[in-house]
Amino acid sequence: MIDLRDLQEIQLDALREVSNMGAGHAATALSQMTKSRIMINVPRLQVSRLEDVPELLQKPDEVVAAVLMHMLGDLTGRTLLIFPRHSAMRLSEILLHRPAGSSHVFGELEQSAIKEAGNILSAAYMNALSDFMGLMLLPSVPSLVIDLCAAVLTTTYTNFGHERDYVFCIQTEFSMEEGKDAVSGHFLLLPDVESLQIILRSIRLA
Amino acid sequence: MTARQTFVKVAQHAVGGREDTLITLGLGSCVAIMLHDRATLVGGMAHVLLPEPSLARDASNPSKFATSAVPLLMDEIRALGGSASRLEARLVGGASMFTSLMGPGSLNMGERNIRASREALKKANIPILAEEVGRDYGRSVRYWIGESRIVVTSVGRPDIVL
Repeated sequence: MIDLRDLQEIQLDALREVSNMGAGHAATALSQMTKSRIMINVPRLQVSRLEDVPELLQKPDEVVAAVLMHMLGDLTGRTLLIFPRHSAMRLSEILLHRPAGSSHVFGELEQSAIKEAGNILSAAYMNALSDFMGLMLLPSVPSLVIDLCAAVLTTTYTNFGHERDYVFCIQTEFSMEEGKDAVSGHFLLLPDVESLQIILRSIRLA
Repeated sequence: MTARQTFVKVAQHAVGGREDTLITLGLGSCVAIMLHDRATLVGGMAHVLLPEPSLARDASNPSKFATSAVPLLMDEIRALGGSASRLEARLVGGASMFTSLMGPGSLNMGERNIRASREALKKANIPILAEEVGRDYGRSVRYWIGESRIVVTSVGRPDIVL
């Protein structure tokens, strides 16, 4: 099994490129859903100690809406979509055709809208990876929680991952171009370490 | 009284006296173990991530695991003048979030952390005074050692005093 700390620069670059493609597709899907332009940054690869996971997105005590899905098929792992609270609320307003600032609680309808958006974004991301690498990837049903970012991140890794020392994520930030209540968020691809090897092999870098 | 606030991060621990407030934010499946000596007002908190060292390759940090964090806290509380025989424990955390994704075979780390913490306390003969554990939501904890008081906060829920 690979030690995450031994990944070479060329491998990291390739993983960044692969995920950039996924993120691009997800951004297109979000753009169509919200009818606005979506910007994405260059994906960031992070190898961190399990105990440092709460700091992955800088703000451990921020309330976020998080959609987690399993990735199944030739690769295993998870995708995690994280929206700051106000972004999640705004996204649900857009999807439910409500005026900005009209929603204040995450009721059943709001939660369902966010979950569905997460579902579509993750599926778009996985489809792009699947096409590019010639691998079969299947998304599970989505699961949503609204909680502190630190709790979401640690639980995602300890409850569903198998690594207890160093963990890995490929993170892309996205945001709407304009406005102070623009939607922004983070997309995290969390392949299991064994699957990282499969990704690298599929692009002939392992 | 000017209180000292200490933030206890994941896989860390802290001890203190009557001036101290120990705080930990965003417990998901992690468990916060608080040990308190009511007579001397000395106490400590560990934010444990995993039940036991055998689950990780690197077991060098005792505050990462429930089984090793309990004896560690006891030692440090004793060093501050607390007595192991008077200690009382309170447990917070161990939630199972994203439950719909947990298949029959998946390991529920929150549940396992709670169980391991209880067992470690039993082994050390420390009674559990109160618990706010399990369920499906995250928690933050503030522990005022001088007041023997612990308050648990969660997103969208009323505070709970232990």
